[in-house]
Amino acid sequence: MLEFVADVMGGLLGRRRSSLSVPILDGAFRPNQLLEEADILLERPGLEDMAIAPDGSLVLAAGPEVLAYAQGAVHVLERYDSNITALTFLADGRRVVALGDRIVIEGRAGAIDAGAGRSFTAITALSVTSSGTLLVCDGSAHHSCDNWQYDLMTKGRSGRLVQLDPKSGKADLLQDGLAWASGAIEDGKGVLVCESWRHRLRRDGKRDATGELPGYPARITPTADGGFWLSLFAGRSQIVEFVLQEGSFRREMMETIDPRYWITPALSSGEDFMEPLQSGGVKHMGILKPWAPPRSYGLAVRLDANCNPLMSVHSRVGGKHHGIVTTLERETEVLALSKGSGRLLRMDLHHIRAASGVTEA
Amino acid sequence: MNTLVKLRYRFWPDKIFGELLQKSWMETAVPLLVLLAVIAFFSARIDTFISITSISDLLRQACELGFVVLGMSIVLIVGGIDLSVGSIYALSNLFALYCINVLGLGMPATVVATLVVGGLLGAVNGLLIGYFRMRAFLTTMVTLIVYKAANDMLNAKVAVQISANFPDAPAWDYLGAGTLLNVPVIVWIFGLVAIGGHVFLTRLRAGWHVLAIGGNRRSAYNTGLPVKRVVALSYAASGMFAAAGAIFYASRLASPGADTGKGLEIVVLTAAILGGIRLGGGKGSVMKALLGTLIVLLLTNGMLRMAMSAGASRVILATILLLAALLDIRWFKNRHKAVQELYVSPNYMELPPPQPTARDSGSPFALNDKLRDVETIGLGEVEAPEDVVLDSDNNLYCGNRHGDIVRFFAPDYKRHEVYAHIGGQPLGMAMCQDGTLLVCVGGMGLYRVNRDRSTEKVTDETNRSLLSIIDDSRLRLADDLDIAPDGRVFFSEATVRYEMHEWPTDSLEARGNGRIICYDPKTRKTTTVLRKLVFPNGIVMASDGQSLLFAESWACRISRYWFDGPQKGKVEVVINDLPGYPDNLNRASDGNYWLAIMGVRSPVFDLAMKRPAFRRRMSKKLPGDEWLAPNLNTGCIVKISEQGEVLDVLWDLGGENHPMITSMREHRGYLYIGGIHNNRIGRLRLADADAEFVDLKVSHA
Repeated sequence: MLEFVADVMGGLLGRRRSSLSVPILDGAFRPNQLLEEADILLERPGLEDMAIAPDGSLVLAAGPEVLAYAQGAVHVLERYDSNITALTFLADGRRVVALGDRIVIEGRAGAIDAGAGRSFTAITALSVTSSGTLLVCDGSAHHSCDNWQYDLMTKGRSGRLVQLDPKSGKADLLQDGLAWASGAIEDGKGVLVCESWRHRLRRDGKRDATGELPGYPARITPTADGGFWLSLFAGRSQIVEFVLQEGSFRREMMETIDPRYWITPALSSGEDFMEPLQSGGVKHMGILKPWAPPRSYGLAVRLDANCNPLMSVHSRVGGKHHGIVTTLERETEVLALSKGSGRLLRMDLHHIRAASGVTEA
Repeated sequence: MNTLVKLRYRFWPDKIFGELLQKSWMETAVPLLVLLAVIAFFSARIDTFISITSISDLLRQACELGFVVLGMSIVLIVGGIDLSVGSIYALSNLFALYCINVLGLGMPATVVATLVVGGLLGAVNGLLIGYFRMRAFLTTMVTLIVYKAANDMLNAKVAVQISANFPDAPAWDYLGAGTLLNVPVIVWIFGLVAIGGHVFLTRLRAGWHVLAIGGNRRSAYNTGLPVKRVVALSYAASGMFAAAGAIFYASRLASPGADTGKGLEIVVLTAAILGGIRLGGGKGSVMKALLGTLIVLLLTNGMLRMAMSAGASRVILATILLLAALLDIRWFKNRHKAVQELYVSPNYMELPPPQPTARDSGSPFALNDKLRDVETIGLGEVEAPEDVVLDSDNNLYCGNRHGDIVRFFAPDYKRHEVYAHIGGQPLGMAMCQDGTLLVCVGGMGLYRVNRDRSTEKVTDETNRSLLSIIDDSRLRLADDLDIAPDGRVFFSEATVRYEMHEWPTDSLEARGNGRIICYDPKTRKTTTVLRKLVFPNGIVMASDGQSLLFAESWACRISRYWFDGPQKGKVEVVINDLPGYPDNLNRASDGNYWLAIMGVRSPVFDLAMKRPAFRRRMSKKLPGDEWLAPNLNTGCIVKISEQGEVLDVLWDLGGENHPMITSMREHRGYLYIGGIHNNRIGRLRLADADAEFVDLKVSHA
């Protein structure tokens, strides 16, 4: 009741949820073109996730295939019967992949398709804890990974964070009711999980670990100094927040229009003129302004151990390297996977630091 | 459900609210409503609140007060405040009575002398504030006290003398009690003064100076207005008006009472501000002062009749003053926001499904890359060439957003010059055989550029429609033209509700805001021939010389209109399911027509067109850059026949080479392409076109 009253008041005063404001790109999020100008190591449709194996090699997931990457060349390690949606390695070097609604652990017979009282639906991310268990992000109870736009547009809050013991297959529910859980990691203080539709990181339990982010968070990876790289697969724009308030318009849009042309964030944009366009995105004098409201955007942010943003890399509106889903820091290089363009990108860590004015740790 | 929505948007006039708010007379309408409310309230509470007997007395009081309010209004308009009016009023009352009763000067001499005294008392304020730059509030508060003290002292000396003499001055009594044609004399005089004041403020240079100085003193000074003098004179005028009120008061009551004019400044200020005269200066009118006066007077009388104590009624009046001042500040601060929020008023529009554009759809609109080989002319050198024309020597002319007409020289179009400067953005153009150029100029109207480069206005206004709230006689956005065989110029005006720079906003409305207008060079008359068109854009004469084809952008349709002949007046839709927003139409060498598609439809935008309330909320809640827009980043060129068959479609896939197309012109085997958001002109070789074809008109203008 109080909540309702507060919302009505907020509507009158333009505050709370009725406010359509989104965080601006400033401070650590000040835009640059580091992602757009990054070296392209590999271009391959269907790139989805990557991980560094315990032996130090880089392993990629693209479509149904697991690929080993070395010096610009890839070779197929394994091929599955459906598309891979997440990839990680156990401490003993065994590979773990998620195939949307099930998990396949190398050397373990049979796939795990349920845990903690419910079958998996949309496994978006996997990571390993110090005790050797797996953190599984199950984005939604209703929509598969490919249908994430449906989950966003129905204001989905059915995601779960599950802890899975790879030996016994026993699963514990760490948290449910998440608005599209899309990345999780264990650090010294517990477990961090990304909630995409709420635009923030959350600590296992109830507290938020960050404020509202200017994008939709995806996977999160650790760095050597105890910090994190958080990938944001799309930038936020006010029109999406507005459409989320417009129930009947949203319903009719979902019923009658192809999801490619909805008003939603996207992993890539600009290829098809049937996509919605906003006034700021109308080209003037042949130029698409980089500050135009983003339908798709490339963004990854480096957080310190307390989840404070330090610096970020961008590919702005009009660029290609959008839809960043995984970012890894390996010694002095930062690798980013752009799902929107199907490219593996490399940036130099010192260069990012210098460009962002962050002194060496 | 949809039918209800349709009916609601067809018959409920959403747009008038925003349009009304924009009108400056709306600010007078508010106090008028307050006045009516006050009358209604007290009439319901008090029997005979308004009666024949009371009305004559009320009018006398109103006019006395009205004079003082007029004086205060002038001071307020010039940006000051005059608190001393009450004391000046009292002193003038005393002085007039002394002149007439004790000195026996007679009516004319007394009136003149009192006005002079009032003017002088006010001039003291004026001198101190205007020339010595003292604060108006403090200065007039000091003179309020000083004059009040002077009044008390003099009153003690002369009151007995005044009361002892009964002058024989019928002219004087006539001022206070007489009537002319059953209306009190004071009303006639006040009426004349009020009309004079209205003429002064709205029609005379000096009145404009007063408004200008109140609006912005520094700018007024910088433009050379005598700020100090005008400010000083306004206080003198205020004193004189107070004296005028006092004269009638004196002749009506003949009372040198010590309480005269006490608290008058609060009443007068309340009246002025309730009437809608700005505290900050620069705005106000005689009408507002009148309405404010009536409101306050009826309020005080009403409260008196309801047996409220003087203290209570003064508290109420002061509270009203405070509220009015607060409203004044809030309203002026937020008015433009209210207008902005209310002005955009979307309409219901359901478009037929578009013809498919997919590559393998088999539709005539299937994507191709026939525009891939477009050469560019003037890349980066020309900004916003909406239309292009060529003359018989192959030179190319286009407009730009700086208000020039630029000429590119044949044969290679590498050199260019400013051919003529118009000032507004040139949109549609037509080249005549004699080298005269007719141009539709955004925000200005229809213009002509002669061979000697002189520019001249052809027309910039049409007949005003009877029921339109906004003034639609001016041409806001004339955008394409063609010339009929008899010399009449037909041109389209895209919208009457938006200016040149905000035309994309019209796409959110999808209402028939546009029209087709005809200029007849024989009679030099301009008349609107077709109304309620949805962003009419391109216009081209059909082959029969009696009809024209026109494109309506947001409605995605092409229609034909017969302006002559047996079918005169008929409008027939030729195509109504274009996959994009049509713009200019021009002739092709094979007797067909070229049509520019400036943007393509997207499913979400089409859906939004069916949901006006969604669009209205969007325009209120989101900043302009976040609004959904028609996709103007991709366009194409279509060749259609007079019957609406699509003969050819030229796409530029990806829009890399030539983003945005608003016009094209065929000339000697080439197609020249313009675009309003472009920084280039395109040129495409046409394979099977008549190499001698030129698109020149016969000018009769």
